[in-house]
Amino acid sequence: MSTVLAAAGVGAGEAWTFWILGPLAILAALGMVVARNAVHSALWLVLVMLCLGVFYVVQAGPFIGLAQIIVYTGAIMMLFLFVLMLVGRDASDSLIEVLRGQRLAAVALGLGFAGLVGAAFFRALDSRDAIGLAQANAEGNVQGIAASLFTRYVFAFEVTSALLIAAAIGAMILAHVERHKDQKFTQPDLMRARFAPGNYPGPKPGPGVYATSTSVATPGLLPDGRLSDRTISPILPKRELTEAESTPKATEGR
Amino acid sequence: MGGYLGSYATLGLLLAVGVLFFLVAMTANRLLRTNRPSAAKSTTYECGLDPVGGDWAQAQIRYYVYAYLYVLFAVEAVFLFPWAVIFDDPGFGMTAVVEMGIFVGVLALGLLYAWRKRVLQWT
Amino acid sequence: MNGFTIATPAQVLAIDVRLPDLDYAAMAPMLVLFGAACLGVLVDAFAPRQSRHTIQFALSFIALTVALLAVIREARVGSRELTADVALAIDGPTLFLQGTLAVLGIVALLLVGERALEKGGPFVSQAAIPVGSEADRRQAREEGATEVFPLTLFALSGMMLFVAANDLLTMFVALEVFSLPLYLLCALARRRRLVSQEAALKYFLLGAFASAFFIFGMALLYGFAGTVSFGGIHDAALLATTSPLLLFTGLAMVAVGLLFKIAAVPFHVWTPDVYQGAPTSVTAFMAACTKVAAFGGLLRVLYVAFDRARWDIEPVIGTIAILTMLVGAILAVTQTDIKRLLAYSSIANAGYLLVGALAFSKEGLSSAMFYLAAYGFTVIAAFAVITLVRDDDGEATHLSRWAGLGREAPLVAGVFTFLMLAFAGIPLTSGFTSKFAVFGAALGVGEAWPVALVIVGVVTSMILAFPYLRVVVMMWLSEPAEQSPTVAIPGAFTSAALMVGVLATLLLGVFPSPVLDLADRAAEFIR
Repeated sequence: MSTVLAAAGVGAGEAWTFWILGPLAILAALGMVVARNAVHSALWLVLVMLCLGVFYVVQAGPFIGLAQIIVYTGAIMMLFLFVLMLVGRDASDSLIEVLRGQRLAAVALGLGFAGLVGAAFFRALDSRDAIGLAQANAEGNVQGIAASLFTRYVFAFEVTSALLIAAAIGAMILAHVERHKDQKFTQPDLMRARFAPGNYPGPKPGPGVYATSTSVATPGLLPDGRLSDRTISPILPKRELTEAESTPKATEGR
Repeated sequence: MGGYLGSYATLGLLLAVGVLFFLVAMTANRLLRTNRPSAAKSTTYECGLDPVGGDWAQAQIRYYVYAYLYVLFAVEAVFLFPWAVIFDDPGFGMTAVVEMGIFVGVLALGLLYAWRKRVLQWT
Repeated sequence: MNGFTIATPAQVLAIDVRLPDLDYAAMAPMLVLFGAACLGVLVDAFAPRQSRHTIQFALSFIALTVALLAVIREARVGSRELTADVALAIDGPTLFLQGTLAVLGIVALLLVGERALEKGGPFVSQAAIPVGSEADRRQAREEGATEVFPLTLFALSGMMLFVAANDLLTMFVALEVFSLPLYLLCALARRRRLVSQEAALKYFLLGAFASAFFIFGMALLYGFAGTVSFGGIHDAALLATTSPLLLFTGLAMVAVGLLFKIAAVPFHVWTPDVYQGAPTSVTAFMAACTKVAAFGGLLRVLYVAFDRARWDIEPVIGTIAILTMLVGAILAVTQTDIKRLLAYSSIANAGYLLVGALAFSKEGLSSAMFYLAAYGFTVIAAFAVITLVRDDDGEATHLSRWAGLGREAPLVAGVFTFLMLAFAGIPLTSGFTSKFAVFGAALGVGEAWPVALVIVGVVTSMILAFPYLRVVVMMWLSEPAEQSPTVAIPGAFTSAALMVGVLATLLLGVFPSPVLDLADRAAEFIR
């Protein structure tokens, strides 16, 4: 079987791939952090994930590599983009720091942590040879994963379904407004409701238009000079008019 | 070209050719076309009105639920691939079928819930 | 040849494809809850709207009772085994903590299911409706969402799995199974919905971050030991000839994930906001059950997998324990909101539990388990009282509103006083016996670190007594404010939860020996 790489040593192809894609992945990760536009961040993230997928493939894990590309860059990034479309892709993250020096501290601590972990990896892995790859991939990569998944870790596998369904229910609770049956109206129903006694069948009057202020939140004036609540939507906070604004003004010609 | 990475070399070559094709086409286009930019050409034209505000419009949250359900089944598919490779191999058989049956059955509950709550109905 | 070569049947035979032995009786508690949760999803999809609440509550209650019986049965059989290959360990601590989780789950479920205090219950009808919109006003008096019951059951089944998990992979899946429903439950408050949603988002983001650490650490530990099972990691640590750096880095990252869940400093920042924003019944559930589950997992990781690395762990986790106790106690003094006060108190209590855990002895383990049970009952009862003190705007949680409550409602104020005294660790309450047990276990080891931890523990207990007693003094001795909140008459469910919580607090304080003995007999992990 030539499905697996020889256990030890790094081939030329692997080294080349690594030295080309490694810096690219790091640049893309940095790009994701510093991009001002959230959509650009998402696209940088796609690049990072693609690079990671290739790394997995190169390290003799074709299944995880392709799953990374299909699920992460395909499905999950698409979900990210939907969320961005939902909340807006504005780059308007505020420049005001809630805690003073927060960013600086975060950068310093982040670099410190990365240095610590990197140094630990370097020292721990420098003198170690990778073992077990040939054994794990002996029957083929996918077959090996299947054998673990459906025998040793079968319980964890089944419990994953609980996780997925809880997440699905959660997404539907938080994002789906259920229409009650009695909230569905037909056109005749709407017409009857419109001309029912106590309801004003005409269109509602528009909001006030003043020389000093024109907004959907400014109530219009009734003929006798009172403000009318019916001219603005009930969910808007009503803009308070000053006395000078709301008193009717005489024109020159009178 | 042999060994494990050999089969991926073809794929890499294809990708490289694709990138090259794109680059050559766009560069040729750039070199051959006339290019006289002016301020008026780069403004957005909208029925004679100057556009104000941004170009972003909020997407319906319902798209999100669909996207989410898609992710759910993509994750399920990840488990289905290895299962599909081995389920009729000797030693797996019925056990594997039952295992996957339980898994898919539980996830189908989510779909059932979505159907009953009319998540799948657009209007 | 390519990476997807299909192996020939002859080669596949070489894979050992036998299913591991699954002891269904031992897994019954988790399976029952999991099945009932799935059934609950079906009920929500198909049952008529009016009867959903009744069906769901009955279903959840029965499922938890059956799970409890299954745990008791398993405990009587006295099984001590690893099942599902080595994924699950059914041993004393597992059964004790699963039993505790089932009982506390039932008590918390009573609060979740209460509908007498507010029309429609404490949960919003449709969380997807934008806050403050016309539709939101219309749904103010509608029946609350009944999905909370299956979510609670999913969370509880995850917690039971978490305390039984004997390898990192199963533990991670269990961690997610119990966290995800909690994130969701936090977002479903009927009143102050924006605060509730903000709490859920904070909890989710920070929780996801902590999970990422956990899984990174898991990868490193796999790299060190070549296995994710705790027994395997223990053996690898014992036999290792190579540098243990991977072991320590992995342990540190796994510990971050676990310490986040138990709300230890500096991973505690989510706690006050989430405790305040979540619906109070969910807060009670989290405060009691999450703590039990997360500590159960942490104890197993420390005692089973990292027993060998004890001397290296002790200074780090000891420092975290000291910080946790200090920060929890000192910041509790400055709080003006009763839910935030209890949040900081729960942080400090995590510190006391760490004192017991760091004893690395049988007594340490049994006292920590006793502490978990005792604290769970008290904290649920305390949050049950908070649901009763209300005004037009829902629960009145600001401390100034509680002034003079003793004259208004002496019984409720009396109960709350008793609970506060239990938190403060006054004798004849479970707070005293559990702290005594934990500190005693640490002193029994007789080494420098445990003793230092006990000293800090005693000092912070004294600091922490101040905010508790301030609430008591405020309730009994202050003049009532202009518009004092009313104390609602508790419904049958809240009364029952309150009664169980208070009785347990009293009994575990006066006659702790049966439960202490039980914990003592259970306190032995298998590997």
